[in-house]
Amino acid sequence: MKGFLDYVPGNSFLHKLNPLTKLVLSLMICVACFISENHLLLVAIILLNLAIAKAAGILPRGLMLLKGLTKISLVIFLLQLLFIRGGDILITLPLNLLITERGVAMAFVIVFRLIGATMPLALMLSITQMNDLSNVLVTKLKIPYKYAFTLTTAMRFIPIFANEMSGIIEAQASRGVELDTRNIFKKIKFVLPLCVPLLITSVKKIEGSAISAEIRGFHLRTRESCYKGYPIKKSDVGVMFFSAFLVFSAIIVSGA
Amino acid sequence: MVNLQDVFFDYGEGETLKNISCRIDKGEFVAIIGANGAGKTTLCKLLNGLLKPSSGSVVINGMDTGTTKTSTLAKSIGFLFQNPDRQICKNTVREEILFGLELAFNDKVLIAERLENTLSTFGFQGDSNPFNLSRGERQRLALASLIAVEPEILILDEPTTGFDYMESMKTMGMIKELNGKGATVIMICHDMEVVLDFAERVLVLAEGTIIADGQTREIFRKEEALEQASVLPPQLAQLALRLGEGFEDVFSVDEMTDAIMKRMNKERTFEHERFSGLCTG
Amino acid sequence: MIRIENLTFKYRNSKKNALENIDLSIEDGDFIGIIGKSGAGKSTLTYVINGIIPHHYQGDYYGSVKIDGDDTFDKTPSELSLKIGSVLQDIDSQMVSSVVEDEILYGLENFSIPKDEVEPRLSSSLKELGISSLRYRTIDSLSGGQKQKVAIAAILALRPKMLLLDEPTSELDPKSSVQIFQLLRDLNKKHGITIIVVEQKIMLLSEFAEKLVVMSEGKIVFNGKVRDVMKHSSELERIGINCPRVVTLSNRLIDRGVDIGKVCINLDEAEAMARGLIHG
Repeated sequence: MKGFLDYVPGNSFLHKLNPLTKLVLSLMICVACFISENHLLLVAIILLNLAIAKAAGILPRGLMLLKGLTKISLVIFLLQLLFIRGGDILITLPLNLLITERGVAMAFVIVFRLIGATMPLALMLSITQMNDLSNVLVTKLKIPYKYAFTLTTAMRFIPIFANEMSGIIEAQASRGVELDTRNIFKKIKFVLPLCVPLLITSVKKIEGSAISAEIRGFHLRTRESCYKGYPIKKSDVGVMFFSAFLVFSAIIVSGA
Repeated sequence: MVNLQDVFFDYGEGETLKNISCRIDKGEFVAIIGANGAGKTTLCKLLNGLLKPSSGSVVINGMDTGTTKTSTLAKSIGFLFQNPDRQICKNTVREEILFGLELAFNDKVLIAERLENTLSTFGFQGDSNPFNLSRGERQRLALASLIAVEPEILILDEPTTGFDYMESMKTMGMIKELNGKGATVIMICHDMEVVLDFAERVLVLAEGTIIADGQTREIFRKEEALEQASVLPPQLAQLALRLGEGFEDVFSVDEMTDAIMKRMNKERTFEHERFSGLCTG
Repeated sequence: MIRIENLTFKYRNSKKNALENIDLSIEDGDFIGIIGKSGAGKSTLTYVINGIIPHHYQGDYYGSVKIDGDDTFDKTPSELSLKIGSVLQDIDSQMVSSVVEDEILYGLENFSIPKDEVEPRLSSSLKELGISSLRYRTIDSLSGGQKQKVAIAAILALRPKMLLLDEPTSELDPKSSVQIFQLLRDLNKKHGITIIVVEQKIMLLSEFAEKLVVMSEGKIVFNGKVRDVMKHSSELERIGINCPRVVTLSNRLIDRGVDIGKVCINLDEAEAMARGLIHG
């Protein structure tokens, strides 16, 4: 099983950007999503996300993300639809539930926002190596190495734990626990006790990781330790301008 | 009974199986050997339905794994994974064994009886916490909770990894005993000495296909197939191969000792005869 | 050079001593195998050597461990690791990067190796282990044996004079296991690096190691040249260690009154012995 956050090697224009630029671009796309309430702009941003995935050669992952997020969004959409009220009443349902014009509009906004803002971070992490990201956070943004390391280690452990969890599920299914049931509630009931073995393994792995970092001079690392340089190139400046433009247009459109 | 017919399997990336057909009868003790990545674990996961073949069919005791859930197959197949920590999920040894039994049976009396039997055969303290046990002990616990159920088929993925010699022998002894009672045992194993001592039949896997299948001793003389699967025969089998003629069926310490001493005597008798011949002639 | 004197250690919250009265000297250039049942104290012994005990795990500690004269109490594990590099048991959790190159850079960066020395060290340690072609690969995409080589290369780049490995072959198939030990032998012979390796597979140790330390219940029971230790095959079996079958064969022949000279510890010796016996 492949995770959706692990690094996909490549040589695209986006891969070669400074990690900082990638971080800025994805954050600015998020910001633009939250500023704007314009449906068209939000859809455009989602399309932009897919275009980014295509350019980085990870379109399948982009589509997978979109599919997954759409599923979650469906639930959120329904809740928003029923709870936000304002404007004309479109449909009256039993139990005093109403679907209003504003409800429909806002439900779309929230769902588009969720999709538009979640995708860029996941995509950015797919084309940026954790080490590079942590190095840039330390050298350019002056974040203490300890925090950068914690962050990147946490990210690195996600696929390891996902892998461990699927191994545990396989082992339990093999001894007859009905984990292969289609009933989601039954499944949750069976999965919860499995957190015990996962926790035990996690603690062991994290311990091993800590020792390994310790004997390889973790404490001695300073801001100057980093061997690779991370220069800001013309292309980086270009992308940063583009990011700013995106936020700017979001402000303009929502102000209008 | 296990029956695989023209099985192909594709993960989408990496490990694949190609055109696997084989039949394993009730009561057989089969070892699967081969390099890492040859498809051994994939093959075993196909047997208990964790993986479904891309084409071909896997039939276990008349149940097609393609249409039967793993949790249903689990009633007749026990699967011991390499890492016992994925299997153990209860706070005491007793609860852990009980959990397996309760998944398989409804009869309270039977469950209680099996539980006590298993605790005493394995020599476990029922109240101890599994996570305070050593890795080898945890592996034994995982096995105990499988054996308690007395499955018809037992699949073992490298049962002796992480064991010291004593634990290996103790555990393999128990598996052999279960096999003696009629259970089919299929094990992946890297330790050729263990394969030699316990398995009756060996499947050699290389790059996703079965390249040899036969009696254990017969397989350990097939140098080419073993080479292709990057497996070395057991140490004395290698010695026998090097010594050549007169050592064809030599595998154990006893056999090797006898074979060497027999050849020594032969040489001596030969020389003795020649010498006495010279005198009388 | 490592001197362990009269060392006893008990983990906090544990009732039993993990190590008891350990006396052990390891000279520069040695190739030592440590073997014993699980729970015999092998990993704990590696932790007292690389300073993880007492710096990371605490407990009751008596006696002393000195690396080239320095007490491990006075040096941090980081400082010690420049002399004695450790490769831990769990391959996956000790990797800190997603790409091979970065994994090797990590230690070099932390110890502030001069920038012009980084590239030569990086490429030579990859070359030494025969994995130059893996430099830009992601670690996820490697096999177990390749990952183990990367872990060793990462430590080797720091140019330690001693290498400490805890069951480096436990997750590898027989062929990759032999490869790892061949590499260790090369490092030992060519560069004089001291090798201390905890290993469950006695056949590998009898083939590659020069000395053997046998542990049981926190104590060292045997310590000496591999061949000398193998003479005690029945005692070894009693504490849960099986000798290679050629050793058992040698001892059996001796029992039957055959004069075989010395106990054979590997296949080549056994072949020579058998041919010698048969052809007079």
